[in-house]
Parts: sequence; C-alpha cells; structure tokens
Amino acid sequence: MHALVFDLSVLWLAGLLGASVGLVARRGTPAERILALDTLVLVLIGLLAMFAVDRREGYYLDAALVLALVAFVATLAAARYYDEGRPF
Amino acid sequence: MLVLVDALIAVGLVVMTLGVLGVYRMPDAYTKLHAQSKAVALGAVCLLVAAVLRGEATNALVGLLVGGFLLLTAPVAAHVIARSAWRQGEPMRGETVIDETDSRELGEPGDDR
Repeated sequence: MHALVFDLSVLWLAGLLGASVGLVARRGTPAERILALDTLVLVLIGLLAMFAVDRREGYYLDAALVLALVAFVATLAAARYYDEGRPF
Repeated sequence: MLVLVDALIAVGLVVMTLGVLGVYRMPDAYTKLHAQSKAVALGAVCLLVAAVLRGEATNALVGLLVGGFLLLTAPVAAHVIARSAWRQGEPMRGETVIDETDSRELGEPGDDR
C-alpha cells in the first residue's frame, strides 16, 4: 500500500515540477516569474520530503533545508533587484 | 502510523496541486501570490510533517526545522514580491480591483527602505 502511494505521489510531484517549469518559462511579468521560481523550489522540497519518507534517511531533509535557505535568499535578492536595480 | 503518513501525503499533494493550479489561473501577480504563498507552502509543510512522522529522531529535528523555516519565510517572500510588483507599477487585472495602497507606506521606486 505504502509503496503504491509513494510511486503515485512521486509521479504526481514530477508532473507538478514540470508544470512549475512551464510557469517559469511562460511569458509573464518579472514578479510572476520570481513567484514561479519560488513555486518550483517548494515543489522540489516536497519531492525531497517524499524521498525522505520512503527511504527513511535524513540526507534528503538536509538537502531540503539547504534548498529552503538558498531559495529564500534568492527570492529576496531577485525581488529587490527587480525593484531597485541592485540586490541589497 | 503509516496510514497517517499516507493521509498527510495525500493532503499535501492535493493542496499543492491546487496551489500550482491557482498560479496558472490567477490573472496577475498579486492574486497569484495568494495561491503560491499559502497553498503551495502549506502543501510542502504537509509532506515534511509526513517525513517527520516516518523518520528517526534526527530526521524529525531537521524536518521540523525545514517546516518551521518555510512557515516563517513564505509570507516574507510573498510580501517582498508583492511590494516590488506594486512599486514597479505592475497592473492589477480582473473585475474586482481595489488598490487602497498609500504610496507613503511603500515608497516610490528608487527610494531605499
């Protein structure tokens, strides 16, 4: 039962990841693209959490932690660069 | 316990899917932020809680750390994106637009706050 749930949800999350890539690539305003990048990273964190559930190992969550930290700083830098022409 | 984990995974996936769908369907950056910063982030937190319940003690610590960090930073990131979009004059689309923002609160583009 759990193996089936895992397989289906990883497939589903891969689909969501593809949809997020489509969001980034779609023509939009810069703020919409920054937002789409943030969505992409959140889906990726969810995927890493799924692997942590299945393999019962902490390494995936370490990667998710680093990804969350880097994505937050990247979002702040991108938004401020869009607003003021320089990141900080 | 395994049932709880699977249920959390299902809830997280549904919420996350609705969030991504919202980002696709909403007309402008401000409304997209509603779907992105709440739904997608909470879906990721659901999956992380599933990982915490399933893993060992050290896993649980890191998982809670990531979840708490997401809960803290998602609103901040959304605020920064909305502020930059408003100051750059991005249009609000749709039929129910009300913009009561005072430019003294956010400042004009160019002045650093």
